[in-house]
Amino acid sequence: MSEPAAVLTGANQTQEEALRRAPTNSRSRDFKRNNLVGYLFVSPWLIGFFLFGFIPIAISLYLAFTNYHLLRGGEWVGLANFERMFTSDIRYGRAVVATFRYVLLAVPLRLIFALAVALLLNTKRRGVYWFRAAYYIPSVIGGSVAVAVMWRQLFGGDGRVNEGVINTLLGFMGIERLNWFGNPDTAIWTLVLLAVWQFGSPMLIFLAGLRQIPSEFYEAASIDGASGWQKLMNVTLPLLTPIIFFNFIMQIISGFRVFTQAFVITAGNPLDSTLFYALYLYRRAFNDFQMGYASAMAWVLLLIIAFFTLLNFRLSRLWVFYETKEG
Amino acid sequence: MVHHNRKVLILLSVVALLLLVGGAALAQDKQEMRLVWWGSQNRHDRTIAVVEMYEAAHPEVDIVYEFANFNDYWTLMNTQAAGGELACVMQHDYAYLSEWARNGLLQPLDPFIESGILDTTNIDDVFLQGGRVDGQLYGLSLGTNTQSMILDLDAFEAAGVELPAADWTWDDFDAIALELHEKLGTWAYGSPTLGDDQIWTAMMVSLGTNPFSADNTDFGYTDDQPIIDHFNRLLRLQEAGAIMTPEEASQYSGGPENSPIVAGSAAMQYQWSNQVVAIFAAAGAERHFKLWTMPRPADAVGAANYLKPSLFFSITADCAMPEVAADLINFFTNSPEANDILAAERGVPVSSVIREHLLPSLDASGAETFSFLEMVAQDASPIFPPNPPGYNDLRNNVWTPLFHDPVLYGQISVEEGVAIFRSEGQAILSGN
Amino acid sequence: MDQALNFESHRHQRRRANLTRGLVYYAGVGLLAVVMLYPVAWLVASSLKPLDEIWTNVTSLIPSALRFENYAEGWQGFGGISFQIFFGNSFVHAGVGTLFTVISSAVVAYGFARVKFRGRDLWFSIMLMTLMLPSQILMIPQYIIFNELGWINTFLPLLIPRLGGDVFFIFMIIQFIRGIPIELDEAAMIDGCSKGGIFFRIILPQITPALVTAAIFSFYWTWEDFLGPLVYLQNPNMYTVALALRAYTDLGSVNNWGAVFAMLTLSLVPVILIFVFFQRYLVEGIATTGLKG
Repeated sequence: MSEPAAVLTGANQTQEEALRRAPTNSRSRDFKRNNLVGYLFVSPWLIGFFLFGFIPIAISLYLAFTNYHLLRGGEWVGLANFERMFTSDIRYGRAVVATFRYVLLAVPLRLIFALAVALLLNTKRRGVYWFRAAYYIPSVIGGSVAVAVMWRQLFGGDGRVNEGVINTLLGFMGIERLNWFGNPDTAIWTLVLLAVWQFGSPMLIFLAGLRQIPSEFYEAASIDGASGWQKLMNVTLPLLTPIIFFNFIMQIISGFRVFTQAFVITAGNPLDSTLFYALYLYRRAFNDFQMGYASAMAWVLLLIIAFFTLLNFRLSRLWVFYETKEG
Repeated sequence: MVHHNRKVLILLSVVALLLLVGGAALAQDKQEMRLVWWGSQNRHDRTIAVVEMYEAAHPEVDIVYEFANFNDYWTLMNTQAAGGELACVMQHDYAYLSEWARNGLLQPLDPFIESGILDTTNIDDVFLQGGRVDGQLYGLSLGTNTQSMILDLDAFEAAGVELPAADWTWDDFDAIALELHEKLGTWAYGSPTLGDDQIWTAMMVSLGTNPFSADNTDFGYTDDQPIIDHFNRLLRLQEAGAIMTPEEASQYSGGPENSPIVAGSAAMQYQWSNQVVAIFAAAGAERHFKLWTMPRPADAVGAANYLKPSLFFSITADCAMPEVAADLINFFTNSPEANDILAAERGVPVSSVIREHLLPSLDASGAETFSFLEMVAQDASPIFPPNPPGYNDLRNNVWTPLFHDPVLYGQISVEEGVAIFRSEGQAILSGN
Repeated sequence: MDQALNFESHRHQRRRANLTRGLVYYAGVGLLAVVMLYPVAWLVASSLKPLDEIWTNVTSLIPSALRFENYAEGWQGFGGISFQIFFGNSFVHAGVGTLFTVISSAVVAYGFARVKFRGRDLWFSIMLMTLMLPSQILMIPQYIIFNELGWINTFLPLLIPRLGGDVFFIFMIIQFIRGIPIELDEAAMIDGCSKGGIFFRIILPQITPALVTAAIFSFYWTWEDFLGPLVYLQNPNMYTVALALRAYTDLGSVNNWGAVFAMLTLSLVPVILIFVFFQRYLVEGIATTGLKG
């Protein structure tokens, strides 16, 4: 999960940059307009978009207002799906709560971790390269089913009498063992910890950001007699804020898409405490075949994501302004 | 360099195309006959062995098989039905057989019985009944099953607790469970299944009502009190430590082999009779288990046990080679050699000849299952009609997450839970 | 003299302070690395442990004896289908999928970056906006369409859409192409090169690093993809490794945990290998595209 998310973070950032830039990119005085060749080159995407993007989007929008069932068909029901979602579907409410709870726990922790480690690795000491690689490995493999199963067994043992690694370690430390998957308060933490463990991508992005801070800033601060802590608070963090904030919003968005881990590790249990949005949507669509209802859920998801993206655009403009004023 | 690059690119595209075509060819339906079933690894192994045996005897037939676990299976079958891609022979369940037959997805087996491909002379009509829809046979049951309470005789003896009567009630269960727990210190009953939807339907059967109304648009009963009583009982027993809390139950993932009764940390557990074998086997020969009838509610009018013809084999409507399909079903039903391998894993075989053939070779668990079914058959309640459409929705989105779990976790009261189950359930059923 | 001595000891102190600080630093980051890698090491160790040791000596990373049979037993798979089939399926899925994605993305990126045509900016904006679209919106109608086409249980729904390229990679390659001096194109054009010729002769050799990055990311995202195969591949013979692992560990009762851990480990090998060999591309890919583009 983290991988696409992390890179998309970058993509969206650059996307916004590009949107600002695209119309002005007309340096090609000696380029003649060449419609045929142009469309020929972009035709793979264009055709793909039309067949697998535009048409499905149109169908999906239509489905959202029907009670379409894969096997029984369906008919137009107006806003009934949305009404059901917000007024009568108890599990939908649970799914939204579970997702927000997960996002609010996992995202800040993950970013704090990533930032702390990036600061730690932002040094010219020898061997840093290897540590960076080591910290990044969990992110490389983290989205896989294999790691999800491994994670389940780390916390759950063999599903019979034997404890897993985590509880055994807790036992060594004299801490009472936890029934991780039986308690709605602890089950979500197994997923949060998995997300935190994969702090590699935001760490890399922070590291790259740290490298871009001009060393003169630090020198100036040193001359002013600033301590390491003061430099961190007065130079590093303010200059890094745009990246932090951007990552924050983007990670929230990706939190709404978490699927595999919840599907494999907790299956939404117990008491729907880990029934994340994407998981519930999948089940409604592909276990219950209520594809009309699930499409409506997908559009609400789009609205949620659009809201955060817009927020991001708005606020990042503020940040950009702030930065240029400073610089 | 430049030309080299282009060549590589072209080469790679060709390879890609070939791979794609190859993949598509692999995926295409071949002219062979397809067979699908659900089950555990044990069933996969046995079924595949019988398929290979059949192929050896019929070199002209190539059987392509698919399998899944129960939950995935119906998703798979429904999507295949929607796509018109059903296998020739599919394993079917009583719950869905009539719906599928009425939707024209299956073909009747009667013509093959008439033509002699499918031999039913040794099958008592009782065992064919469940496969009939509107007077025609759409599925041949591979085995008969019933719910059974497994009792650990050693634990009962160690605790000095008398075995219950055959027509015991849930109140009796209550008392026995508390006594077992008190004397042994272990769980009396060791599985999260005491409040599952099949206990609910069995309860309705023994109360003489059907779970659902005849037109499937509502529940078939109005009095929720038996359910309320049952869940209050579960809460009491949970509190006393005689049964698992849901937290504790969550630590026992996995199949029957992993049950606490196998590990000796519980004295009772209910199981469908065909799964008993796995528990007996996992527990080992030195343990002594007995199958018992299911407890019934206090004011029951009949037994909580009913005979469920299960794990039908059906032939789908579009099957191109139904004679071969019927012959394969016949092989599973009537071949002694095949049944040596199948070993009643799908339930007690319907053919009396096969039952007699298997008797001498049965191990303790097999013999116990056969005799238990014989006993239950004396007094069984009639089976309720097949589940209405939307039953899965009812179970997966209402019974478990809105009623069963919140009540047993103590989040809502039993009365609240039952009220939610009724109103949410009616919302689903009214769509039928 | 006194002063000099004083100075010496100061330097000594500072050096010692530096040394301890270095030690503390390496101890800290080293400990963190141990914590981070422990789960992976545990998985590998468990895949080699004798069966009775996996859960009894659960925290240990050193098997008392190496039991390679775990791998042989795991390779048998389940239901008569060995992991050879699953790995083959995954390589088809990830390999062909990556090929499609990268080739198409490069072609489309060139079109957007270097050819001027009516509506380019509009299509470009639309393309970028699709990045925001949650896959859940497309998943259901696509499923219905592919179901109608009879493509369920084939790799087609997973591969054919990739012929349109991947927006993120297209964007990445566009950025890369923009970094190539336009003078090269112009020189080629004067030599009578067509747009296609420029693409193959000038651009393609120059953007190889971007293509490699795209291929790496594409391969391992596809290798780890779970939702797509879960939706479209239902026949166990078509399962990818990810689906097979889920089914393998979900069959109710896993009795041979050694075999399970062996297959989990094996499924990570391609990804780890890619990481080891192309680490620079991966890290740079995230760091640079993440920040500059």
